[in-house]
Amino acid sequence: MLSAPDTQAIDLATFPSTINLPYTLTPGRAAGTFLAEIASRRIVGCRFANGEVVAPAQDFSTRDAEDRYEFVEAPHAGVLGAFTQVGDAVIGLIQLDGCDNEFPHKMLAEYAALKVGMRVAAVWDEAQEQSILCIAGFAPAPDAPVGTVKPFGETAPPLESIPYRMQLDYEHAYGPYYGRMFDEIREHGRIMGVRVSNGDDALLPPREIDDLTHKRTGTWKTCENTGTIRGCSIINMEFIGQTRPPPYAYAEIALDGASTRLIHMIEIESLAWAKEHVRPGRRVRAIWTTGERTGSLRDIERFELIDE
Amino acid sequence: MTKSSGRHVGIVGVGQTHHSRRRTDVSQAGLVREAVNRALADAKLTMEDIDSVVVASGPVLFAAVNQPEKWVVDAIGARGKPVVRVTSGGGAGFAGALAGYYQVAGGYSDRTLVVAYDKLSEGQLQYSISTLYDPFWGREFAVGIMGFSAAYWRARMDVLGHTEEAAAMVSVKNHKNAFSNPYAHFKKEVTVEEVMASKPLCWPIKLLDVPPISDGAAAVVLASENVAAKSTDRPAWIQGIAYCCEADNAPERSMLLSEPLAIAARHVYRAAGITNPRRQFDVVEVQEPYSCFELSYYESLGLCPPGEAAALIASGATQLDGDIPVNPSGGTMGANPIGAVGLIRLIEAATQVMGRSECHQIKDAKLALVQSGGGWANLRGCAVLSA
Repeated sequence: MLSAPDTQAIDLATFPSTINLPYTLTPGRAAGTFLAEIASRRIVGCRFANGEVVAPAQDFSTRDAEDRYEFVEAPHAGVLGAFTQVGDAVIGLIQLDGCDNEFPHKMLAEYAALKVGMRVAAVWDEAQEQSILCIAGFAPAPDAPVGTVKPFGETAPPLESIPYRMQLDYEHAYGPYYGRMFDEIREHGRIMGVRVSNGDDALLPPREIDDLTHKRTGTWKTCENTGTIRGCSIINMEFIGQTRPPPYAYAEIALDGASTRLIHMIEIESLAWAKEHVRPGRRVRAIWTTGERTGSLRDIERFELIDE
Repeated sequence: MTKSSGRHVGIVGVGQTHHSRRRTDVSQAGLVREAVNRALADAKLTMEDIDSVVVASGPVLFAAVNQPEKWVVDAIGARGKPVVRVTSGGGAGFAGALAGYYQVAGGYSDRTLVVAYDKLSEGQLQYSISTLYDPFWGREFAVGIMGFSAAYWRARMDVLGHTEEAAAMVSVKNHKNAFSNPYAHFKKEVTVEEVMASKPLCWPIKLLDVPPISDGAAAVVLASENVAAKSTDRPAWIQGIAYCCEADNAPERSMLLSEPLAIAARHVYRAAGITNPRRQFDVVEVQEPYSCFELSYYESLGLCPPGEAAALIASGATQLDGDIPVNPSGGTMGANPIGAVGLIRLIEAATQVMGRSECHQIKDAKLALVQSGGGWANLRGCAVLSA
């Protein structure tokens, strides 16, 4: 019989991290046309050569990927196919009159007031433009007449690019090895690794299993504040997410006592100076911040070249 | 790891989009569909003939659509078919081909469609790539893929003599070759002096060592021996294919040679009967996002001994009229839709041995070598194709 391992989860502090990225999305012709027309309170759909009618407009029939279509104008009312409560919102699947597909949108009604199969109609949000949210949502409309799709005359040119932003917030678990290392950085201003399974060199960052021998790593060891550049490049461009103004040097540094590399920055006087002086083999020293340490690699402000 | 007892697998149809800095007229799914339609037409097939589909693309942060294969299969009419998405950074397209290869070689399918793409104009490329770094350990200092690529090059410069001039020659060669590639979008011939004088971005990487940022898709149809003849009387047969990794930050990890590529090459060469790569291969396609990588691959693939890559490029041997032409297509210098690039290199090598390259057909090319890779230089693979 299998027995559960004798371990249990312990609640520990986590490492918060945010990825925040801007995008320019391309909707393509059909969705781009839908978005161009929605500001005029018109719902653009497609009638495909295979007979399928979908709204909002799409470039390909979901039935068989048919891509020949003409634009149609869909009515603003339809039937509620399904719904669910998501937090404070109620989301429904709506099939507009004359269309073959359902699409999700917000329901502007209490959950209890909704019923599958009921008539619903779009409620417009005057403040929105060029977004599916021009339709604020769908509300019950028992008396809304059953509409039909109509041919679309001239459509506005499709929107080609939609600005978008994605912010992703994470809470990474340190685990026991990273946890100890960052504690040591914060509390004592020192970098500790664990010894390889068969020698004195430390692995940084510390880990449970030795990469080469696949055996358990050894005891903890404090690495020096000095080290050697293994690889380096001189950053001379600006980019989103950058933490300091260029130029500066990106360096992969083996701290004395460690056998793996740590990534950090070296401040430089100029590009020309750095080409000559910042190179593999050069000795460097960590310069710790003078402010309060936070328990991250940023507690080392930078590395600087030393003469030896 | 490589072909041992599986069925023979051939590339019987290929298709690419005309790559572009920014395609505003199609969505991601529309872009994929273009390449798929071209590959199917090239193989004289329709989607009905396809048993399974592999979709390959780079990190989803590139274009903000998670699990894009579910969008893609609708657009290409693959509803109801087995589909998987494979992603492996810059090597995604190649890893996708490897997954497709296994499906056909193993008898799971007779025809597998592999489609790879990225639409890089939509997002922040270097920032997205920085998220490859350990969030605790280095991400705050990451410079996309360029920071470490330049650092590794800098390490090779002193020990292996991969000079800025040698890399500039690679850039000049590939830019020149890309000029005749109908699918390339960056077409500008450059000189060694211009490369050397171009703006340092992450020195030693300079602006003209760097490929463009591209939107693009590529697709191939892989077929078993039983059905290949329906599509073409001259498939490109995959004689060996492998994709290997090394530990991200292990002690003794070499910054000088690509160990996973050397391991992959050893396996693939054994499977394909390659004992003297420089002499046996008629043509080579490598994925060189940054000119310095091509020099490193010459050595890891055994086209020359370590330390002689600079001499190899200087000798002219890897030019179109040399004895071992590398990147007749122009490599990534003409277009670099990252997730698709591994598959594009495979296509460019395949069309060489099929005798119908649209760029620079190498005369009587019978045996081709393809290289690709992803991760932060720790995932590397190669394949051998024959007529």
